[in-house]
Amino acid sequence: MEAQGGAPAVVERDGRRLMKINMGPQHPSTHGVLRLIVTLDGEVVVGVEPDIGFLHRNFEKIVEGWSYPGIVPFSDRNDYLGAITNEVAVCLAIERLAQIEVPPRAVYLRVLFCELQRILSHILFYGTFGLDLGAFSPFMYAFREREWGYTLMEKATGARMLYAYNRIGGLRNDLPDEWFADLEKFLVFMERQAWPEYMGLLIENEIFRERTIGVGKLTPEQAIAWGASGPVLRSTGVAWDLRKAAPYLGYERFEFDVPVGKNGDTYDSAMVRMLEIKESIRIIRQVLKMLPDGPVLARVRPNLRPRAGEYYSRVESPRGEVGVYLVSDGSARPYRLKWRAPSFCHLQLVPAMGGGGKVADLIAAVGSLDVIMGEVDR
Amino acid sequence: MNIYLAALLKVVGVLAFVLGNAFILIWAERKISGYMQRRYGPLRVGGPAGLLQSAADILKLMAKEDFVPGGADLWLWWLAPAVALVPAVLVYLVLPIGRSFVLQNLSIGLVFFASVTSFTLIGIFMAGWGSNNKYSLLGAMRAGAQLFSYEIPLILSTIGVVMLTGSLTLQRIVAAQANVWFVVPQIVGFLVFYVASLAELNRTPFDLAEAESELIAGYFTEYSGIRWAMFAVAEYSNLFTTSALAVTLFLGGWRPLPLLAFIPGWVWFVLKTYVLVFVGIWIRWTLPRVRIDQLMDLGWKFLFPVSVANVLVTALVLAVR
Amino acid sequence: MALWDRVWQTGKSMVVGHAITMREMLHKPVTVRYPEEKPPFERGSRSVPVLKVNEESGRLNCVSCGLCERACPPSCIEITQAMDEKGRKKPWPETFQLDLSHCMVCNLCVEACPFDALEMADVVELGSYQVQDLILQKGQLAEIWKTSRALRVAGGERL
Ligand code: SF4
Ligand code: SF4
Repeated sequence: MEAQGGAPAVVERDGRRLMKINMGPQHPSTHGVLRLIVTLDGEVVVGVEPDIGFLHRNFEKIVEGWSYPGIVPFSDRNDYLGAITNEVAVCLAIERLAQIEVPPRAVYLRVLFCELQRILSHILFYGTFGLDLGAFSPFMYAFREREWGYTLMEKATGARMLYAYNRIGGLRNDLPDEWFADLEKFLVFMERQAWPEYMGLLIENEIFRERTIGVGKLTPEQAIAWGASGPVLRSTGVAWDLRKAAPYLGYERFEFDVPVGKNGDTYDSAMVRMLEIKESIRIIRQVLKMLPDGPVLARVRPNLRPRAGEYYSRVESPRGEVGVYLVSDGSARPYRLKWRAPSFCHLQLVPAMGGGGKVADLIAAVGSLDVIMGEVDR
Repeated sequence: MNIYLAALLKVVGVLAFVLGNAFILIWAERKISGYMQRRYGPLRVGGPAGLLQSAADILKLMAKEDFVPGGADLWLWWLAPAVALVPAVLVYLVLPIGRSFVLQNLSIGLVFFASVTSFTLIGIFMAGWGSNNKYSLLGAMRAGAQLFSYEIPLILSTIGVVMLTGSLTLQRIVAAQANVWFVVPQIVGFLVFYVASLAELNRTPFDLAEAESELIAGYFTEYSGIRWAMFAVAEYSNLFTTSALAVTLFLGGWRPLPLLAFIPGWVWFVLKTYVLVFVGIWIRWTLPRVRIDQLMDLGWKFLFPVSVANVLVTALVLAVR
Repeated sequence: MALWDRVWQTGKSMVVGHAITMREMLHKPVTVRYPEEKPPFERGSRSVPVLKVNEESGRLNCVSCGLCERACPPSCIEITQAMDEKGRKKPWPETFQLDLSHCMVCNLCVEACPFDALEMADVVELGSYQVQDLILQKGQLAEIWKTSRALRVAGGERL
């Protein structure tokens, strides 16, 4: 067979005839527009090469021409399933450089929304991971809860996905009191009904375990060497969570555990996320108990000019370490903003995780990384 | 003259049934999967239940462009859907639908069924090879390995029933279940048969040949329009016939439940078949997909020995009695 | 008896999984059948910034100060000041144009406006095949304000 232009369809290596195959950028399980150039020996994956850049939006350069307040809503578009954590990362950097004191209520609410966002993102991970493994119903159930959660978000922030909720110096608006009752209902549902259902339907299913245990294995050394963070790193047994290791937003005030895996395979990575849902619920409960009253937005000059300097703020997004390296030259626009995207680092792991397995293992490995192409390509 | 007329009638009847049945099954699958996932499924075409959705789909598919990929092996490409559809229609010949309602009471009904259904593989393989697409080829290879290895436990699991009956005629097998359905003495055989038939049908958890998250649509990735529809009809027709065979072999065929004998046999037959079809749909929308090597393991290392053991135990019991 | 354990485990997880799907099947669907029934918007949902019309005078609140134009990060607002014949500035906009195709619904313009002239409306069915249709003029923006629910939430107030 001849490929239609481009690379030859069949390559010879060590006397074996290997097949090059393009997965993506239009493929049902590439989570956006990721292209994998896969070399196959029959069903066995011999080599994988991730090819990125299909969703490039020039975020880092564009914001160099924008004044600071505009960066916050634009950063939503990087990791669009962890919009709040992106905003928090940017805000923390700017607030630090501009020396703005954020009111305590806003800090607590930011924690609350970060955790709610983590729950919603992990719910979606559960759904799409099931889809990658061929189970369709978990995806639909995941969306049911996710819609509920997004309605909560909409009630609070006015938007369902790209919230534009954080402002430099706090939050856009305070919440109505009934909102907290709705949130409590959602949490109870997640805990009592949805979580056991997720476990029973997919995670504890024998076929799922067969498909994921021992697949896409990573050693802790590998994960650290490639710059993995978040659930992917924790699945290998490294208890590295920025909320514990370098607390921001006063995370040290809350009591929670950092779930870790043992084997670093895709099963552990799914399991870590499932357990993190529970931990996030725990944190939200504590926030609700400790939430102080007061304003949610500090007074900030409209034409904000932080002092010259640089700062690297990092937060634990649902996917890992989101970092914002901000350099200010004292003018109203940032001199340079570098976005550290966890998914970008995780994509490097694909050859290590998927090589040597079957095609299906490759799909499972990519699925377990939970990459968001929006933040990879930026 | 009369034979030809009868033959023509049979063919037309079967074709009409195949199509109508595929309509109903596709609609049912979409509806059931919808409700299972807290959705509605088709809603708009043909009344509030979306009954005519399949008809609308067929119309749409017929109106679509008949796309041929570049570099396709034209003969294989064109013939493949037909080759997949013909065995699906043929097997209706031997299904014992009622007490005296069977199109052709072949003395080798079971063997006929098994041999004709294995033709589907050839259609799939032709489609995969002819499309000049690597995904199709991978899907066809998977289908080849899968259908070939599951044929064996499938047939072995029916041998217990044949031994109990002493006949390959499907009518006789049903007749032999007058007292007790064979699912009771042959429960192992039934389970093996059902799992193997799911694999034969390419349905989740064994839908590797068309695994959409891996191979897009497997062997029919490149097909569109009416050719694609022929694959779909063949698939659903096979779902019905395989379930019907399971009913015939293990669940008493057209035999009614006690006390409900006033309902005619063919109703029972269709009813039982639909129950099995429903179970198939239920399984499909619950389970994730297995991997190709696990599929092979399951077939050769588990189902095959179990079905052989089942045959041996049946033989022992028969010998002792 | 590892094999037996495997079979038992498999069987158990299959039963649990199928019980879950069956239980879900017996409940009512959660789908909102979109064009026929529409999900309610939450209070404060925002989709497009619109121009507020003064109830009494029937004119726009906007005085064409240009603050929203400057606050908008992707620069999708374009305003020209109204002038009379002698070239004196008038306190209303001659043109007020919003390019919805790259508005990111961030609410910053609403927060910037000191004259309570912008609000966020909650209409979403603004899709079109032409990009030109997404460039809304002041008349259209005022029309949307009149026909939909619009709300101004700015700077830390309680929703
Ligand atoms: S909502 Fe944001 S992007 Fe849209 S016009 Fe207002 S400031 Fe500009
Ligand atoms: S900030 Fe308000 S008053 Fe000024 S131009 Fe914009 S809408 Fe008009």
